[in-house]
Amino acid sequence: MYKAVIIGGSAGSFQVITRILHSLSPNFPLPVLLCLHRLKHVRSGFVEALSIKSGIPIIEPFDKEQIKPGKAYLAPANYHMYIELGNKIALSTEDPVNHSRPSIDLSFVTAAQVYREKLIGIILSGANRDGAYGLKKIKDLGGLAIVQDPEECQVKTMTEASLKMTKVDFVYNTNEIIKFLQNIKS
Amino acid sequence: MIRYEIGIVDTRNVIKVLLDDFGFDFRDYALTSFKRRLEHVINNNGLRDADGLISRLQNNKDFLDQFLFEITPETTEMFRDPSFWRILRDEVLVEITRGSANKPRIWVASFDSGEELYSLAIILKEMNLLDSVQIYANVFTDKCINRIKSGRLDPKDLETNEANYQRLNGKFQYSSYYKMDGNTIVFDTELVKNIIFVKQKTNIENDPGAVKLTIFRNQTIYYNQLLHEKVLQKISTSMVAGGFLALGVKETLENTNAYNKFTVFNDNEKIYKRKTT
Repeated sequence: MYKAVIIGGSAGSFQVITRILHSLSPNFPLPVLLCLHRLKHVRSGFVEALSIKSGIPIIEPFDKEQIKPGKAYLAPANYHMYIELGNKIALSTEDPVNHSRPSIDLSFVTAAQVYREKLIGIILSGANRDGAYGLKKIKDLGGLAIVQDPEECQVKTMTEASLKMTKVDFVYNTNEIIKFLQNIKS
Repeated sequence: MIRYEIGIVDTRNVIKVLLDDFGFDFRDYALTSFKRRLEHVINNNGLRDADGLISRLQNNKDFLDQFLFEITPETTEMFRDPSFWRILRDEVLVEITRGSANKPRIWVASFDSGEELYSLAIILKEMNLLDSVQIYANVFTDKCINRIKSGRLDPKDLETNEANYQRLNGKFQYSSYYKMDGNTIVFDTELVKNIIFVKQKTNIENDPGAVKLTIFRNQTIYYNQLLHEKVLQKISTSMVAGGFLALGVKETLENTNAYNKFTVFNDNEKIYKRKTT
């Protein structure tokens, strides 16, 4: 029933995202879209670091790349990553949003417009408010909104901003997020 | 975050007016980013919605230039991807200027707000090659030409641009290329005085021909597949054999019809070389 999972994270999210990716099996039925704040001038290394323990392949997509299930797509450094109709990635060099490029809000909003109620959005630890509006859009368009439990977050700002703006479906710690994703059937 | 959100029907209405009333064809632009650009223009100009935008376009002749200027995504950075500019300087520019009888033609085919042009000019100047090449630049609007010629690009993030210049191992100081006018950065306009500007509608209609280097970074990301193919075709026919094509680092010729006309020169920086045939 779901068509995609999108995850946003910033400061303090690296270990969480590593654990989540590690827990996914190679036949995970959905694409996983990752928008994580990162150094804009460091193009290489991040995807490699995330790949070490990941159960599914991680791709830093080119523009117009087709999105496929069982793969993770990491927003490249210094580009916004949009989801385009036709299940494709579209990249953009437009101005930073919330001081961020990639901006989690933009990835979430465009994914919500394409997948609507068939999207799962997850906000993890982070030090700014990027992503809060995007998660609200996912919820408004019928998708499922999950926020990492602020009590578990290294930095609470992003999850608390999201909880303030949206009545989310679940507040989960990392183990619960993992269990939830592992139970998704194709 | 932008609050006004334009729907697909309204987006198509604006595109129709731009084509029917003004002859600008945005039908084959990538939908998501074009919608965002429209939202940006609407919010930026205090317009209510798509109808407000259409009525402003139709009732105020001077607004079109402003619209076209704002609809084009900003470049936002000097020396974006310093490693690209290093390769361009140390390998590409060296090769195209070596033993050339005529001034080699460099075409900045992207609708650039000026940063790519000034970055290129600064590098050429440091190589003492600024007068040995002819640069052509595509532009949409008079506003853009004026902005570039006045040197007032007002790059937003001085720190990033400084850092990029340092990563490039530039010869001098980044600050030696501009003066401050109050809080505004004004670049040395000598850098761009010999550039030939080619004003265009929507996409690339005219090309200089016999081009040895085409810089077209982060432009095809704003096109759909159809326009992407069309523009690459145009570019590849305008280039000489052995000429270089630079795309953005997340754009690729693979999966396009132009791929068999080029070889990969540098895969990381997405620099291609035109084949002989």
